[in-house]
Amino acid sequence: MNGNKGVDAHLPLTPALFHVLLALADGDKHGYAILKDVALRTAGEVKLSTGTLYGIIKRLLNEGMIQESRRRPVAEQGDRRRIYYRLTPLGLQVAAAEAARHEKVVALARLKKVLRSPGIA
Amino acid sequence: MRKPPSRRNRFYQALLRILPSDFRSDFGGDMEQTFDDQAADVEQREGRMGVLKLWLDTISGVFRIAPAEHWQMLRQDTRYALRMMRKNLGYTAVALLTLALGVGVNTAIFSVIHSTLLRPLPYVHSDQLVILRQQALRAGITDLTYSVAEVNDYRQQNHTFSGVVEYHHMQFTLFGRDEAERVQTGVVSANFFDLFGVRPILGRTFLPADEQPGAPPVLLLSNEYWRRSRHSDPDIIGKTFEMNDKVHTVVGVLPPVPQYPDENDVYMTTSACPFRSDPRFIANRGNRMMRVFGRLKPGVTPKQADADVAAIAGRLQQEYPKNYPADAGYNAVAVPLQQELTRQARPTFLVLLAAAGFVLLIACANVANFSLARVAQRERELLVRSALGAGRGRLLRQLLTESVLMGVMAGALGLLLASGSLRLLAEFAMRLTSRAREISLDGPVLLFALAAAVITSMVSGSVLAFSPRERVAAGLKEWNAQSSIAGRRKRVRNALIVLQVAFSFVLLIGAGLTVRSLVKLQNVDPGFTPERVLTMGINLNWSKYNTPENRRAAGRRILEQVQSLPGVLSAAVSSSFPLDPDNVAMYNSMGPMPQDFRVEGAPLRQGEVPPLGDVRVCSPDYFKTLGIPVLMGRAFAPTDNADALRVAVVNQSLARHRFDGRPVGKRISFDEGKNWTTIVGVVGDTREFGLNRQPDDEIYLPIEQNPAVGSLVVRTLAEPAMLANLVRRAIWNFDSQTALTNVETLEQARSDTLKSPRLTANLLGLFGILALVIAATGIGGILALSVSQRVHEIGIRLALGARPADVSRMVIGHGMLLVLAGLALGAAGAVAITPPLRALLFGVAPTDPWTFGGAFLVLALTALIACSIPARRATRIDPLVALRHE
Repeated sequence: MNGNKGVDAHLPLTPALFHVLLALADGDKHGYAILKDVALRTAGEVKLSTGTLYGIIKRLLNEGMIQESRRRPVAEQGDRRRIYYRLTPLGLQVAAAEAARHEKVVALARLKKVLRSPGIA
Repeated sequence: MRKPPSRRNRFYQALLRILPSDFRSDFGGDMEQTFDDQAADVEQREGRMGVLKLWLDTISGVFRIAPAEHWQMLRQDTRYALRMMRKNLGYTAVALLTLALGVGVNTAIFSVIHSTLLRPLPYVHSDQLVILRQQALRAGITDLTYSVAEVNDYRQQNHTFSGVVEYHHMQFTLFGRDEAERVQTGVVSANFFDLFGVRPILGRTFLPADEQPGAPPVLLLSNEYWRRSRHSDPDIIGKTFEMNDKVHTVVGVLPPVPQYPDENDVYMTTSACPFRSDPRFIANRGNRMMRVFGRLKPGVTPKQADADVAAIAGRLQQEYPKNYPADAGYNAVAVPLQQELTRQARPTFLVLLAAAGFVLLIACANVANFSLARVAQRERELLVRSALGAGRGRLLRQLLTESVLMGVMAGALGLLLASGSLRLLAEFAMRLTSRAREISLDGPVLLFALAAAVITSMVSGSVLAFSPRERVAAGLKEWNAQSSIAGRRKRVRNALIVLQVAFSFVLLIGAGLTVRSLVKLQNVDPGFTPERVLTMGINLNWSKYNTPENRRAAGRRILEQVQSLPGVLSAAVSSSFPLDPDNVAMYNSMGPMPQDFRVEGAPLRQGEVPPLGDVRVCSPDYFKTLGIPVLMGRAFAPTDNADALRVAVVNQSLARHRFDGRPVGKRISFDEGKNWTTIVGVVGDTREFGLNRQPDDEIYLPIEQNPAVGSLVVRTLAEPAMLANLVRRAIWNFDSQTALTNVETLEQARSDTLKSPRLTANLLGLFGILALVIAATGIGGILALSVSQRVHEIGIRLALGARPADVSRMVIGHGMLLVLAGLALGAAGAVAITPPLRALLFGVAPTDPWTFGGAFLVLALTALIACSIPARRATRIDPLVALRHE
């Protein structure tokens, strides 16, 4: 992962942006699904409004980290207004690199005994 | 299935409008859906409070991302606009230059107007400051100065002023350094600076005790004089100077504020001025020399003050009928100071602003026309972009960015032009208002320039912006649907040409009128021969020459010294001379100061205004030196001395007005009949105060009988300027304490009085030429475009046997038809709007047919040349090539 210039140029990510990437890591989602996922995983710590979410989506689309998905779940075939977003390989790499960055910080915090108990991630 | 939008959705849609249209078209629908889901969910789980909180979060979120999104869009549009500009470098350069010229002249003129007419005076509550003006309207006097008795009356009897102060201006000689120095001196009431709200930067201003009769004389230095002449001496307070034979102590230095009504070097109180404090002067109600200013009490309107002073004037008239003859129409008014200080300048400035505005309009029309011409080109680009999904808003935004960018660039360029020309303009304005010193490019002016540039650019760019709307609506496929739009566009272009020609015509007429007026002024016979005459002001240390005897001796000695110089043909000493700069300045700030006299055998009726005449004192050779013809009787002779019969010479005007043209041998009196003076000759009229002023009634008295030395005139064999140093040395030889002012030739003095009309004519001429050039490029450019669009048609005509002359006539005919329409419109406009020019004109009517005809010819010929270039190109079209075009 390291040494990839294209990936490094995107780092570090803002927490909100990182969480949007993470939300898409386990499958394509539409806007509201992303919001819900982020709120659920962070236990309400990271709260996105529609404005900030789509600001992030626009940036991720422009930078090629996500793309619009053509496939949608059968149940929602009829709703044409909903757009699904999917992580691109680049998006995945960036998310992984950001996670690795966090991991290093956590390891350092343990080494310095700032953090005692394991199991944060 | 799509439901009709709920109220919630409508509100959300409205909220999204603060985002750029691109963002909305990319994500708007999706966002709406997401919000819908979110809101429904929250409502179910958290109820109304939850929804309220969601709204707050949502609104703040949208507002948080909006600026960044707009900024990003702007950067993108700007980059694109710059690329487009580079691609059309020729068009960009022409449009930019045209706009910059228009904005530049407007900014320059506006800065003058803003600094002088609009900006409040730099004094505390300057709107409360008024000047009290006495008038004798039926005697033709609009601005009568005040006597001491009158100052006291107005000060004591008014109910509307919190303070009334007096002012007069003197030139004194100040000794203190090696050389005698002539200083401009303001003589003021003790509370003068308090009334204006001016605080000293060093020391103090005057105290009431300083104005008591016999108080030790004290001086205030103006900031400029303190810096220039005293090198900003920080220890100046307490230093002493000798003036008028008395020791004056410096008590303060003024801040660098503009001074009104004159720029003075030093100020003294009324008790320190030897003239003003003379008991004989104070005692005589008719001895007038001061101006009076007042500050309105809070809440008093200028109108109320006006009524107040008018009432005082009425009382004075009843109380002293001899001093205020009923026929004179004596009255007094209170005029806001700002209005008074710019009275002379206002008409000129407003005419210049109007002219500059015309230049901008013409520039605007020109750029609009070129933009329209480019539409054909831009259309394809815009269509492609709209086909690629750019919405109408997006395209409008792009065009707007281009216009604003162009405007900002033109504004910057125009500002550069304006700042370059400002010094010249300020110098010009100085002749019209003392506020000219304040002229600068400040915040409001910068804002004006930018606004003028951006608005102009947007207006001229908007013709382009409205165009694609129709195109997009018409769709890509129907090329033929465009022909009606093309037709409408052509009509707009033609109308713009007509307007440009019309405005240019009006401007050219204005320029022509001022130029003709200037030529008339230059050709005015001044009544004297200005060639090879050296003139200067002589300022004797009057406290040394304080008796008629030693002044008489001084005049003789100076004349002897000067007459003995090689190259001097003749010379004379006099109180002043025609177009004497000091005299003209005095006249401009104080108005005429004629003396009244009585004619023997013609007693005044009750209430009749006595005859008035300008009195000049001169030595015998004065008329010969200046080339003023003696028409009747004789000039003065050396024998007209103190012991001889008192004599006078009058000018033609006075002879005609008071003696039916036969005054020689008649007698006049300046002291109501106690002493009589016999008229011995009549000389020609001279223009004393300005070439544009009709000659006044003049009375000349011999210097030996009325010793007063004010100036020297010398007729020389060769170039007079070469003798200046010799003459100067000769006078200092006689007395080194003599200050000499305005050493120049009479030609220069004459030319100086023409400076202001010359500059007005030059500026209007410049505007006229600008307009002409802009309009000509407009006409030529548009015709060239029309020719290039009609290549096919012209080719067919030629192929069918049309001669080149027919084609050329067709093209020129098209152009000249528009030009003629513009000329007709312009002529009508000019007749309607040039009358205000009358105030600036001399000897030319605002509807002068020669000027109209001349401007018509100039414009028509220029337009013809502009039309003939594309016409010639049309005749060179090769039918074969043209037909292959399709």
